[in-house]
Amino acid sequence: MEGDIVQAAKLIGAGLAAIGVFGGGIGVGLAALGATQAMGRNPDVAGTIQTNMILGFAFAEATSIYALVVALLILFVF
Amino acid sequence: MEAEKKSRWRWGVNRWIVLVLIVLNFIFARQFPPIAPHVQLPAEPIFPLTLPVVGEFVVTNTIIATLIADVVLFVLAFFVWRSIRRGNQILTGITGVVEALTDALFSLSESTAGKWGKSIFVWMATIVFLVLIVNWTELIPGVDSIGLFEADHIARPEECTFDSFYIGSLEIVSVGGEPACSAGVIPFVRVASTDLNFTIALAIISVAATQMIGIRALGVSYFTKFFNTKTLFTAPMFGVINFLVSLLEAILEFAKILSFGFRLFGNIFAGSILLFVVGTLAPVFLQSGVLLFEWFVGIIQAIVFGLLTLIFMSLATVSHSEEEGH
Repeated sequence: MEGDIVQAAKLIGAGLAAIGVFGGGIGVGLAALGATQAMGRNPDVAGTIQTNMILGFAFAEATSIYALVVALLILFVF
Repeated sequence: MEAEKKSRWRWGVNRWIVLVLIVLNFIFARQFPPIAPHVQLPAEPIFPLTLPVVGEFVVTNTIIATLIADVVLFVLAFFVWRSIRRGNQILTGITGVVEALTDALFSLSESTAGKWGKSIFVWMATIVFLVLIVNWTELIPGVDSIGLFEADHIARPEECTFDSFYIGSLEIVSVGGEPACSAGVIPFVRVASTDLNFTIALAIISVAATQMIGIRALGVSYFTKFFNTKTLFTAPMFGVINFLVSLLEAILEFAKILSFGFRLFGNIFAGSILLFVVGTLAPVFLQSGVLLFEWFVGIIQAIVFGLLTLIFMSLATVSHSEEEGH
């Protein structure tokens, strides 16, 4: 019975920790918004804007990846 | 003559090959149902090894993957070297791809870092190539799926026997219904970026190299970035704030190590778990879509790691007092 409670608690904890992932989706969408608007205004420098957009993706995605890593840690390590 | 040879290739051949492969996939998925994956965070050990200087340690499957990536890098470098020694002006094939990537990275580092672009390019390109090849090994069939058996939950050891070569489902059910033992597959080769040792080691190397380039560019006064006592006594209020901000920058360096390591680790580990799970749930066609996404994620994460290294290094070479402006 105790083992089941621990397993259930692990699963609930992982599910709660994964809630933080949706902030990354909003962040990536905002980065894409800024990048496409800038490209629409100034198509000549589209290459530079694209590079910086990928950089912005990585930073915005990183925080949601941290939340995912916490969920995975709860599931598989503890 | 060459135009005739090229138009011999019939247009519709590829789609029939794909159709045959899908049908074969369906047949095999019915014949050998897929197994539930055994996922664990630390890398699984394969065999122990004793080296003269290092001592006793255990070779894990991510070490094998890193060695394979090293061999691939050396082979690529050998091909490019041989092609240049022959005097080819235009490199074609795989060496052309390497040349295009190197050219893009070099122009990027020259435009970002200016004078220090050449030394920063060395670090950045190495990291990009290594992480790229390591990330792309998870797309090769056989990685993460071919490996050793290990029984991990043994209830009744005397009934626990299984063949050494087995494809498909893994639970050995005895007569009473409860499994005598359940086995898991330990893959021979596991993607090296899913091991925290690899990613955090690379992050520490990157941040330490950033400090080194800062010292090379600015001398010992580079450390006034972290310990800013210049305005501490001249302008009292702002001096204290500047000092505290500079201490915060020192803490930020450690946060950078964690951020680098966990960004790469999280992306690739989550991607490999996604590949396992989708391959288990719907083994027929869906895993190909996830594979395409993982190809994309692999190249993006490699470029982002290198790009962030480039940006932090070029920030380190800029003198801090120039930004003040007063």
